[in-house]
Amino acid sequence: MTAIIDATFEKVGCGELQTMPVEVRDHLPFGVVGLDAGGITRVYNETEARMAGLNPEKVLGTSFFDAVAQCMNNFMVAQRFEDEHELDAIVPFVLTLRMRPTRVRLRLLASKSRPLRFILIDR
Amino acid sequence: MENAASEEEKLLEFLYAAPVGLVEIDASGSIGMINPYAMKHLLPLAGTRDATNLFTILESCAPELRNRLDSFAGQRGTVCDGHRITVDLRRAQDGAEPKVLACTLVKLDVDRAIACISDITVQVAQERRLKQAEAWFSSLINDVNDYAVGSITSDGVVDAVNASWTEQTGYAQETLIGQTLADIFPPSAGDRNSSLVEQLRLAARDGWYLDEMWHDRKDGSRFWCQRLIAARLGSDGQLAGYTLVLRDITRQTYDTDDLRRLLTQDHLTGAANRARFQQIFDREHRAWCQHGSPLSLIMLDIDHFKRVNDTYGHPTGDLVLSRFAETIAKAVRPSDVFARLGGEEFAVLMTATDLSEAAEIAERLRVLVADMRVQTAQADLAITVSLGCATAVPNEDLIRSADEALYTAKRNGRDRVHTIGPAAVAA
Repeated sequence: MTAIIDATFEKVGCGELQTMPVEVRDHLPFGVVGLDAGGITRVYNETEARMAGLNPEKVLGTSFFDAVAQCMNNFMVAQRFEDEHELDAIVPFVLTLRMRPTRVRLRLLASKSRPLRFILIDR
Repeated sequence: MENAASEEEKLLEFLYAAPVGLVEIDASGSIGMINPYAMKHLLPLAGTRDATNLFTILESCAPELRNRLDSFAGQRGTVCDGHRITVDLRRAQDGAEPKVLACTLVKLDVDRAIACISDITVQVAQERRLKQAEAWFSSLINDVNDYAVGSITSDGVVDAVNASWTEQTGYAQETLIGQTLADIFPPSAGDRNSSLVEQLRLAARDGWYLDEMWHDRKDGSRFWCQRLIAARLGSDGQLAGYTLVLRDITRQTYDTDDLRRLLTQDHLTGAANRARFQQIFDREHRAWCQHGSPLSLIMLDIDHFKRVNDTYGHPTGDLVLSRFAETIAKAVRPSDVFARLGGEEFAVLMTATDLSEAAEIAERLRVLVADMRVQTAQADLAITVSLGCATAVPNEDLIRSADEALYTAKRNGRDRVHTIGPAAVAA
């Protein structure tokens, strides 16, 4: 039962993230958040839910940059998805997981050919 | 156990979504807890500095906060309440108000304090505008004998004037009643103010409209006049008419006149200046947000202008700019705002104008400029202009869109109009 994908924080692509089995995505060692074109959370893996202390069911279907990640709702993250339709960038960031300032690396992924955009969170 | 877990989850959801920033720090400013709203506003200020210390983050825009906590004598209490932090991250060209945060800092004990952060950019901008209006109204009341009052029906017909009106203008009351606004305020030559119809529209929309211009007396002389048009609403909330106030401010004429020009006009071309443009753009953009009547913008940039300056010198360049501005100013409508934004960069802001209409106007302007010849000592110069056209749509920066359209027009070979917006997508 091993998935043969190069699913590392640095390498994994939009397509793989979207097509991989949910349980595989849930057990990746980094947080995975997938947003549709309207900014609604469509993917929220277990790793991220655990770190943030939130129930995925409460997060899915809400506007990510308003309900959960206001801190990313500025030119550093949200604006980049608006401006760049082809995007693969790793940015150092400080998140507020459970209200604790937490240094992380974010990987922002967007591709014109894929409906979902992804934010990967590596602590 | 499950209950406690779900309670914690609810608390986290609440703090993640709260529309106000909360930060807990120790005496050195090191952040213990912070919610996303606070981080949203603070992280962009940190730059390359440590983003886990509040005072380090605020070093470049509010270094005083550290000192205020340090020098706070009490064991506990409010160190500052609503302290304003002017951030101003954005380029002025965005037309955006400079960003301002408010910070309240409460000391809890020797090594613990809580800061509350909120974004008050909009309130600060509103305050500034209110202050301007207040200053005018108070000066009006202080000088009560100096103004004339008239009443205008909603159709723009005068139905009453007071005695001061006759004193100021020389016209008898009975000759004024029944006249239209256009009769008593004939447009004077070189009048750059918006049309009367436009002024009434603005008064009906905003409650009042204020402007200054020359006003002609019966004997042919004239005075510099502050004119306030205030909308009067009936008990049903519908527009019942207007109150018109004239104020003779001739005493200060040249000062006021010059100052006004200095503040609102570009010295060389007579077009509205950048500050004036920003002011009007803000007002119209807010109105567009509220009422949705189309608002369009043309950005203009003279092609290869640097060559004119390099080849013929700056005096010739200035002449070209003046002639260009004259041509555009004559061609746009009274309700349009024509402004010089930079060296050879101009803008025309158009209310109640959709994208296709704006594109037509832009094309007309392009042809006018291409046909124009500037006679100089050295040569008859011909210039061309590139134009970018956009209309306001939700969540798009109108100025940026028009700028992008302008650059596309430049890239595509200059001397052309490029249009960006819903129509372009549909086409």
